[in-house]
Amino acid sequence: MFGFISPRKLRAAGVVGMNRRNARFIGPNNRRRFYKRVDDKLQTKLLCEQHNIKVPRLLGVVRLQHQISELKDFLPPLQQFVIKPANGSGGKGILVITGRDGDRYLKASGKALTLTELEHHVSNILSGLYSLGGLPDVAFFEALVIADDSLKEFSFEGVPDIRVILYHGYPVMAMARLSTRRSDGKANLHQGAVGVGLDLATGHALNAVQFSRPLERHPDTGKALKDLKVPHWRELLVLASRGYEMSELGYLGVDLVLDQNLGPLVLELNARPGLSIQLANGAGLAPRLKAIERIHGPKRDPEQRVNAALQALSALPVRDV
Amino acid sequence: MTHRMQLIVLVTVLLLAGIASVLYKHYALGFPINPAEVETVWTVEARIAFKGNGDPITVRLRLPDSVRPPITTAQPREGDYRFSIIEQDGQRLARWRADGSLGEQVLRLRFTDNPDQHRSGLPGVLNPPTELPEALSSEAQGLVAQLQTNQPTHAQLVARTLNLVNVGNDPTVLLLLGSDRSRLAKVNLAVDLLRRAGVPAQVVRGVELMDNARNQSLRSLLEVHDGERWHIWDDREAKRLPHRQVLILGREGEPMLDVFGGTNSSIQFATLREQRGAFQAAVDAGRLQSNVLVDFSIYSLPLADQSAFKLLLMIPIGALVVVLLRNIVGLRTSGTFMPVLIALAFQQTTLLVGVMLFLVVVGIGLLARSYLSRLNLLLVPRIAAVLVTVIVIYGAIGIVSHKLGMDAGLRVMLFPMVILSWTIERMSILWEEDGPREVFIQGGGSLITAVLAYLLMSNRLLGDILFLYPELLLVVLAIVIMLGRYSGYRLTELRRFEPMERY
Repeated sequence: MFGFISPRKLRAAGVVGMNRRNARFIGPNNRRRFYKRVDDKLQTKLLCEQHNIKVPRLLGVVRLQHQISELKDFLPPLQQFVIKPANGSGGKGILVITGRDGDRYLKASGKALTLTELEHHVSNILSGLYSLGGLPDVAFFEALVIADDSLKEFSFEGVPDIRVILYHGYPVMAMARLSTRRSDGKANLHQGAVGVGLDLATGHALNAVQFSRPLERHPDTGKALKDLKVPHWRELLVLASRGYEMSELGYLGVDLVLDQNLGPLVLELNARPGLSIQLANGAGLAPRLKAIERIHGPKRDPEQRVNAALQALSALPVRDV
Repeated sequence: MTHRMQLIVLVTVLLLAGIASVLYKHYALGFPINPAEVETVWTVEARIAFKGNGDPITVRLRLPDSVRPPITTAQPREGDYRFSIIEQDGQRLARWRADGSLGEQVLRLRFTDNPDQHRSGLPGVLNPPTELPEALSSEAQGLVAQLQTNQPTHAQLVARTLNLVNVGNDPTVLLLLGSDRSRLAKVNLAVDLLRRAGVPAQVVRGVELMDNARNQSLRSLLEVHDGERWHIWDDREAKRLPHRQVLILGREGEPMLDVFGGTNSSIQFATLREQRGAFQAAVDAGRLQSNVLVDFSIYSLPLADQSAFKLLLMIPIGALVVVLLRNIVGLRTSGTFMPVLIALAFQQTTLLVGVMLFLVVVGIGLLARSYLSRLNLLLVPRIAAVLVTVIVIYGAIGIVSHKLGMDAGLRVMLFPMVILSWTIERMSILWEEDGPREVFIQGGGSLITAVLAYLLMSNRLLGDILFLYPELLLVVLAIVIMLGRYSGYRLTELRRFEPMERY
């Protein structure tokens, strides 16, 4: 009524609110000293490589201003790459180079940049222009992800990514995040990206939301969102689950992309994943988290965890749609 | 102990400690509930004069229960007299002692009298009517019968009796009075007649409390009981005096002033009315009793610092508002406690002016910041630049509004500039990263929080109560801790997750 839902209904739907997420799930399960493993994207990347988790290939790192002068030897052989600040938030400071025009570098939009302009961008990253709190930062170069054909049309610019929530390492909920014109090619829901809930067992689309309100079609590409189906689903779930061993965070969001050639890759991890995923799925997290708490205990490898989670969650009563 | 138990114990202890000390202060120390309560107290100065005869001197003056500290004395020569307050047979006495001296001696005693604590009726046994020779007794009886004709009310009976005795032309009265026609004899006769009529009555001695009255002697007053309570009567005017208006020292015949080692003693009173906050009176009393709760409280600070503390005491209320709005309602604010500081500034600027100034400063600041961001400055210099800009804006607003004759604009200086600079910086980053929508959500949230906090913090009653009972902060703390464990939905989430209903 009046655009509000009663707390009773919300509880019946098993929706976890911000207070409960923080007090009940993040507080007791995520140790603060492990946060830096996921807050620093470069560190996440290096840790992933140590744990044999597939990530977009790291091409190089610039830590100090004077290293920028080495870029003129480093960059010319590269055709496509992405420059990222390690501590950037909300996609700030990410520069995507999709091709070359002689000695100039082409952005996705077609705009050409000179080497000097690239050097300037890296210098800005190092001086903390894009980092949280303006602290000095590190810039790294990684291989460009080529979006999988099956997903490409569901996203306006930008590569769609897939967010999987892990609880004690068990996948509990997933959604695809599709960038829109509104979100400026970024995959953050609060910036206007579309969230599409995914059936955890199959990777098929469930519901879709933008700014917390349901929608049927992608606002820019017009594709019917219920047709979305993520390929390599099982492989993707197992890969995501391995983020647990690496981060040791009990409540974790894993962001992955699907590369046309390389398959699922881990982009970054999040220690405080948002709650809109429940809207995209049309289901609350609470029953699933409780189901995981019941089976959590014996040591299992990621593959076993995915199986155990799917089995435990399939036993949950399905709410009438 | 589990966390949950610890929490329950902690919250219970805080609540109990807070509430218990409030109750203690109210009931035991007489702190008022309504801080604006005013009470009337009297400052009384007694002047005792006598002639020393050379013997060691001891002077004792009876102090009624309603007399409150501070009790101070002034004496002819410092150190001659040793002054102390003593208890004897359950009665408080002021006592002076000195080696013998000759000549006129004057002692002064100054104290505060709280008329609310005047007790009606003095304890003790009432004497039966005076024994009279049989003839006189029947005359008196006749007089009583005469007084009681037409069944007068209690008050009428007393008034009639006093009038009869005062006029003094009734032959029976003259007969009963005999040769002694002093005031005291007349009052005593009235008492006697009233007792014969079955009305308990006695003569007491006291001072009538009148503003700015000097040189009042102790006078005799009539006290009668109407079956429920004692009333004091002015015998000369034959009218009732409220208890609050008379300071009774004791019953006629009891010693009120003893002077040993002196003769021709006399006592006179000067009375002065004072109105003061009931709370100030309670604080004074508490401090003089060296009550720990009062002595080690903010009231022991100098007055100027007390008012600063009064402001500080309101900050927890602001913090409580922030907790409520963020965790229960789910408003997003820019900077957790920034709204509290803005609310503090509003206290000085008044609300409307404050909100306008806030919007102007932040608006112009955001424009300036958006230009600065193009210069790619590092963080600290960038904020410093914003700070300088903010100060320039303050100056500009102040000068322009002054020239326009609106001095309200000058109050912009009261805004916390460093906090505002940070707010501008944060909002500007928010604008770039998440768009103007988020800036309006968070900016609006901050403003709503600040306004609500202001409304509560500027509430005088609340402010005075917190100042009276700073222990209430423990209660606030308990509430904040309890809210800290609230894991239910936020109000805004009921809106955010509304589509769940459609699935």
